[in-house]
Amino acid sequence: MENNEFKNRSPKEVSKQIRKENFKRNWLLFKQSKLGMTGLVIIAFFLFLAILQPILFATGIWSRGVYDPVVGYDSQKVDLLVVECPKEYPTEKYETNQDCPAKDEINIRVLLLRPDVKVGDTYEAFLQPAPPSSKHILGTDSLGRDVFSQIMEGSQVAFLLGLLSATLGVGISTLLGTIAAYFGGRVDAYLMRQSDLVLMLPSLPLLFIISAFAELKVWHLAIVLGVIGGLGGSVITIKSQALQVKVKPFVDSARITGGSKLKIMFSHVLPNVAPLALLFMVFSVTGAIASESVLSFLGLLNIDMSWGLMIYLSQTDGYIFSGLRYWWLILPAGLSVTLLAGGFYLVGRGLDDVFNPRLRKR
Amino acid sequence: MAIYILKRTYQLIIVFLLFLVLSYLLFNAIPGNAFQSLLLNPDLPKEAYQRVLETYGLDKPLFERLQLYIINFFKGDFGYSYNYYPKTPIDLIAERLPRTLMLFALVNVVSFYTGFIVGKILAWRRGSKSETWITITSVFSYTVFYPWFALLMLYFFGYKLGWLPIGKFIYPEKWYDAPFDSDVVFITMIKFTVVATFIQFLAFIFTRNIESLTNRKTARLVSFVLLLLGSYFYWGSGSALEQRTYAADIAYHMILPVFTVTIVAFAGTALLTRTTMMEVLKDDYILTARAKGLSQKRIRDRHAARTALLPVVTSFIFTIITIIDGSVLTETIFSWPGMGQLILQSVTQEDIPVAMATFSFVGILALVAHFLADISYAYLDPRIRIKSQG
Repeated sequence: MENNEFKNRSPKEVSKQIRKENFKRNWLLFKQSKLGMTGLVIIAFFLFLAILQPILFATGIWSRGVYDPVVGYDSQKVDLLVVECPKEYPTEKYETNQDCPAKDEINIRVLLLRPDVKVGDTYEAFLQPAPPSSKHILGTDSLGRDVFSQIMEGSQVAFLLGLLSATLGVGISTLLGTIAAYFGGRVDAYLMRQSDLVLMLPSLPLLFIISAFAELKVWHLAIVLGVIGGLGGSVITIKSQALQVKVKPFVDSARITGGSKLKIMFSHVLPNVAPLALLFMVFSVTGAIASESVLSFLGLLNIDMSWGLMIYLSQTDGYIFSGLRYWWLILPAGLSVTLLAGGFYLVGRGLDDVFNPRLRKR
Repeated sequence: MAIYILKRTYQLIIVFLLFLVLSYLLFNAIPGNAFQSLLLNPDLPKEAYQRVLETYGLDKPLFERLQLYIINFFKGDFGYSYNYYPKTPIDLIAERLPRTLMLFALVNVVSFYTGFIVGKILAWRRGSKSETWITITSVFSYTVFYPWFALLMLYFFGYKLGWLPIGKFIYPEKWYDAPFDSDVVFITMIKFTVVATFIQFLAFIFTRNIESLTNRKTARLVSFVLLLLGSYFYWGSGSALEQRTYAADIAYHMILPVFTVTIVAFAGTALLTRTTMMEVLKDDYILTARAKGLSQKRIRDRHAARTALLPVVTSFIFTIITIIDGSVLTETIFSWPGMGQLILQSVTQEDIPVAMATFSFVGILALVAHFLADISYAYLDPRIRIKSQG
């Protein structure tokens, strides 16, 4: 960086320039970490899914009646061969009682209301957890709703919740951590005891109790998770980082030139804590997504559709123990939660390499 | 050191009182009260309902009730459970807690040990192909959506292969004519495990200072074999012989939950160890050790890994807090009748006395863990230890 480059420019422009250069350098460092880039690709993929759904609805490519993740309905017409399942196994055709009826057959004993149907006829049925087809990329669930559309809706929920709660939490913890470090004394003691208290609260049972007296919606949960995360252990870590910044010479020189306390705190200490805060934010998104999925998996969340709810439904409907026969009900939702949480974690690892020079390769 | 401990104790007592107040206010915010179902009975006269409220002190002002709650808490009086009527919450906790602690103590010991070893190797082989694969696997198991993963494991091992039981604590049909309570057998098992672990731990401590690596390995193997022989004789004689088949039944039911949670839990330790090891490996004394011409294995195990152990030990103590958190899911999925299941049940079925007792109990557990973590950190980290002395 040439010094005369900055001549005849206002300080604002110069700092903008420096920030730009910094960003470029950090981006180059981040690009070197394979894990971080993998995570970024995963996040971009789910972001694409989340944005794609409203576009598909708005342009009319998908009609609301068929593809709506909550109230849509579609079924697949199939011709099934009527057979009578034997009473004893194994027979020539079937080995165990799970093989009968096979995929394109139907047991005559379940057709009690249709006495006119005989063995060997073809029976026209509406298949409801329909397997993947060109119309429904990931098939439909037991209520005839499109699974792919549900995945898209779930990723919207995950992004909304993860980013909202992480931003809120990191905002709170950065502010409190910096205040504790900068003012010290009684303020510090109070804030540290408060984060001790929040660390003590068992988070899942606490969420159960909150869900018992308030109907939790997604953004309620985001606020609760954000506040709990923001008051807890991250305050302590950010405080220790801010303490290191506080004793640096530029803070002293700012004080000597007559900067007010607030001004020093916001424009000198805070920006230097920001990288650590960003790191925290990325990691806490992982936690938020997992908490939401767990709560909807236990059926404690007032929510229309989410990945956790999809797993909850496939478990309560008994498809989990059907093995891979209904794989489109079991695998996509669980994998989505895992992949997105993993994606944010990997990006956090990549950022760790950037901001923590001791971890860098050689 | 003593002053430091005293100061921390004093602070923690204040935090705990705050915790009690907060938890009471939380439960107070749940709409309705314990006798709402009585009010719904149309035959009940209004005065009777009022009298019930007065008898149980529910019409008193909030502050007075809070005071009563805190006083009763220190007396150990939580009232009776609504769902399991003659039992008190303390009875229920005393019954459920050993099951949870046994399961998760086992899981934590196994997962921290494997996680530490895997993390050590990961940091050592930085940049190799095996490192990438192990990292990807451990990131996957670190972030995997746990209930989903546990259900798949249950499906695969319990249903598809049929090797292990699908959840639950025991097979009831095996216990029809059992002369023991399942809890009695379980307590025997806990005693046995604690003693065995302690002996193994002692063996590790005593063999730690053997210089030659091969000699140390043989000494550890011998002690392990001796322990196996000892446990064989223990279960083959006396009262333990009668309990053996029943204990085996419980142990059989424990395999799958322990295995599943270990797979998920070891990754966190592995990733943490990797990070701290990598920081340690950059230090000057590792370079010195290399220059002295020590073998690679010795540098890794003796010089680097011991320093990297410090944050791992503290995180081990902090997991005591998360045990109950994690146990809610594990016990719901594997139908393991422990504390986690009790908390979830009592909250969803509005069994308020049990819910309050378990919640404050978890608080106490967290408090103890917090205290232990602080003290051990102060003890292990010479900087804090020396500062508090001087």
